[in-house]
Amino acid sequence: MFALVQNGGGVLAQTPNEGTNFLHELLLWLPLPEWIPGWALVLGAVGAGVGILVGLVSFIALWSVWMERKVSGHMQCRNGPMYAGGWHGWAQTIADGIKLFQKEDMIPIGADRVLFVLSPAIVLASIFGALAALPLSYDWYFARMDLGIFTILAIGSTTTIGVIMAGWASNSKWSLYGAMREAAQVVAYEIPLGIALMVPLITLGTFSLLDASALQSGFFGMGWAIFQNPLCLPAFIIFWIAALAETKRAPFDLPEAESELVAGFLTEFSGIRWSFFFMEEYAAMFLMSVVGAVFFFGGFESPATYALRMAGMEGTIVFSLVCFGTLVLKAFTGVFLMMWLRWTLPRVRIDQVMTMGYKYLTPLALICVLGAAIWEAVLHIVLN
Amino acid sequence: MTSPTEAEHKPSIRPADESRTLPSGEREFFMDVATSDLEVNMGPQHPATHGVMRVLLRTDGELVTGAQPHLGYLHRCAEKIGENVEWLQYLPYTDRYDYLSAMNNNLSYSLAVEALMPELEIPRRGTMIRMICAEMNRIASHLVAFGTYGLDIGAFTPFFYAFREREWIQALFEKICGARLTYSYIRIGGVFNDTPPGWLQEVADFCDVFEEKWQEYYDLLIENHIFVQRTANVGVISEEMAYDFGLTGPMLRGSGVDFDLRRDMPYLEYGQAYDAGAFRVPIGTGEKGTVGDCWDRTQVRMVEMKECLGLVRWCLEQIEPGPVIGDVPKVIKVPPGEAYVGIENPRGELGHYMHSDGGKIATRCRVRAPSFVNLAVLEDLMPGTLLADSVAIIGSTDIVIGETDR
Amino acid sequence: MDFQAIADHLSVAKVPGLLSVELPRSPDKKIKDKGRSGLPYVCLDPSCIVEFLMFCRDDEALGFEVLVDLTASDPSSDDENLWILVQLLSVRHRHRLGIKCILPKSALSMPSSTKVYRAAQWHERECMEMYGVTFEDHPDPRNMLLPDDWVGYPMRKDYVFPKEYHGISCE
Repeated sequence: MFALVQNGGGVLAQTPNEGTNFLHELLLWLPLPEWIPGWALVLGAVGAGVGILVGLVSFIALWSVWMERKVSGHMQCRNGPMYAGGWHGWAQTIADGIKLFQKEDMIPIGADRVLFVLSPAIVLASIFGALAALPLSYDWYFARMDLGIFTILAIGSTTTIGVIMAGWASNSKWSLYGAMREAAQVVAYEIPLGIALMVPLITLGTFSLLDASALQSGFFGMGWAIFQNPLCLPAFIIFWIAALAETKRAPFDLPEAESELVAGFLTEFSGIRWSFFFMEEYAAMFLMSVVGAVFFFGGFESPATYALRMAGMEGTIVFSLVCFGTLVLKAFTGVFLMMWLRWTLPRVRIDQVMTMGYKYLTPLALICVLGAAIWEAVLHIVLN
Repeated sequence: MTSPTEAEHKPSIRPADESRTLPSGEREFFMDVATSDLEVNMGPQHPATHGVMRVLLRTDGELVTGAQPHLGYLHRCAEKIGENVEWLQYLPYTDRYDYLSAMNNNLSYSLAVEALMPELEIPRRGTMIRMICAEMNRIASHLVAFGTYGLDIGAFTPFFYAFREREWIQALFEKICGARLTYSYIRIGGVFNDTPPGWLQEVADFCDVFEEKWQEYYDLLIENHIFVQRTANVGVISEEMAYDFGLTGPMLRGSGVDFDLRRDMPYLEYGQAYDAGAFRVPIGTGEKGTVGDCWDRTQVRMVEMKECLGLVRWCLEQIEPGPVIGDVPKVIKVPPGEAYVGIENPRGELGHYMHSDGGKIATRCRVRAPSFVNLAVLEDLMPGTLLADSVAIIGSTDIVIGETDR
Repeated sequence: MDFQAIADHLSVAKVPGLLSVELPRSPDKKIKDKGRSGLPYVCLDPSCIVEFLMFCRDDEALGFEVLVDLTASDPSSDDENLWILVQLLSVRHRHRLGIKCILPKSALSMPSSTKVYRAAQWHERECMEMYGVTFEDHPDPRNMLLPDDWVGYPMRKDYVFPKEYHGISCE
């Protein structure tokens, strides 16, 4: 595998040092007074990281909501937001955010107050945790994790707990339906999600997102995993379907099925609490798209990064920016694809969802893993 | 379904002598835990009930075990009003039962009153315009059925496309009578006024454009695999069940019965139109599942839309200049008698039973509303299906609560 | 079959309860167009309605599979009778039949047709709440459109509107 990458003509990308991240290094580089202890700098780095993460999630939500409204509008032969802020309503989400912020905070009578207040927090916290494991570029990461994808999947699945809590705590039967559907659906699709992700793991050989991206830098920046192993394509399709189910996007949006359950588990949440759930939804969409981009479609790699690397600009800010831009572009293409599917396809019924998850996707994913492993073994034998 | 309340069970453990010891040495106790079915109210405000209707559902998880529709939220005493206002004054009330197909309601009422006035001559141009308006209204009504059914199933986009075409039809109706939804245009004796210049040409243009769009909508939603999976083999109504429940219209035709009032008991000039080959009557064939499932009914409505275009084109060829309304006095006094006339509404047979004692006001004005009758099948269809299916079933009956409650 | 043929078939078959055959009471006798005529109907003894409807449904020549409408009518407040009107439709033979039963207001009770046609169930519920007719052996005699605690029979000609309902003024 490594031989393949080297033979492809690409230079293996350099990965940064262990132990620190760019924020800490930035703080160390600043001319700060002597009496500030080391741990304060670490805390400062952590605080700055949290700030960047919050900003990132907010920006993702802002951009995604606007994009969703424009995309859905144009697919439905109408305009979408046009007025707020002037050009195509770019400030619409900001206006909506202000509106939601100043709404009355209603908790239904008989609702479990503790769980009701806690559920949006849990949901958002788990997404923050998952996003913290995401590197923004080769040099810009919050923590260098060898088990990056494992962390992301593990922390990301705790959103389900928050959703079920939300459904239960609302003291409404319709919300309970949404919560039960969510529980069944997410548990069913975690399996094919994980198994389908094993195919690029076998192809690339690493759990870390930085290394995975680096290993796809051959072939002038187009040596993506999906071209390295023929079974990566069916694995990607299975991964994508499972990702749609995990993020509760149509055609699997049963937990919040608008036309059946009013708003499913979200019915009783209004104002800022509702916006937390939606920030989580868009952040989860972004997360799944990024995971798909990194493990199947090259992550930071593209012909642009190859060119910059050839020009010797590795390690510079421009290079990092280009890597970041490439990743964001790929991720938002994935988000656009998810939105496209939402506005095209009808909803699948819960028993059909479960059937598809357990009876079709899981065996297919297992077959893909088997095939990918055989392919790698054969290739190893042939090349050596 | 019997009364909703059930006794609460507290979990209790049976006495020790009803436990047993397993080979591993553990004791196994039996718990008497009763689980009761969940009783949920679907409505009166609910996105899927097509109006203000309450369906009391009893569910065991996702499985519906009982359904009981409760009506009356939109009851506006139309029949009592009919006994208190003059014949022509009642016409706007007829618009408002099935507000999606107001032209057909006006038509049914006018035909029933004209049946009591045999010397009244309806001019041919009036008849032709009546037919054009009724068929255009059928297309508009079926577009709503198609769009909102997609919405119920979860496909958000076809709704907008359907309403784009519907906007055109409503603009056409606005040109001819000034109103977009409740027209009061088809009156006793003919229609209210003649078509404005260029209207007939615009109707012809609409037919051409709509024919292409129809194929798109058919492929987009009706042939979509997920839609088929959601609606095929769901809510199957057999022929006997359809007869027993008194179903008419697409509900009956979806179950494979070849019956359409326009062709088989013709009114206006539908008989001549059928003989000239202007339209055919689609029936459900169980193509994607069973005969009489939700998909069949939806498909019947879709194909009916296309057949309406043929009818409209035939009328456009046949229409000639002339008066549009017969010799009707300002205050109509209908000779004594009783009449029942049923016509083919987009939802089924809309019948008016009128009883006149010779005066200015009717003695009895009974409205046989198709949605009222079609709704009764819910009590028998919904138990045994999943919650998502019950939404699909309600959508496929294509009810309008204005008509159900009058 | 046209109405005359149906009526003859019914009298020949000696269906119980058949009282008379009424042609439309329109003064103009020169009616040629059948679609524009008034309503002809058969007049029936209310207690025999179930057997009559069963005969109409099961007979080959008549073949009335569909109950289209079942309603009541109060001709006037002076009249001491109430009319029950039934409309039947035959899909395979393409003909209709109108049935009228006359019930005295003092004894407003007749058997329920639910056993013959399931469609009658909801129509009868509406008659029960609007006119006060009692249909014996009706499986579900709740109010249909009116609230459960409504007083009076609104569709009768002598109905007086209530002044208020649960504290809400009805003026």
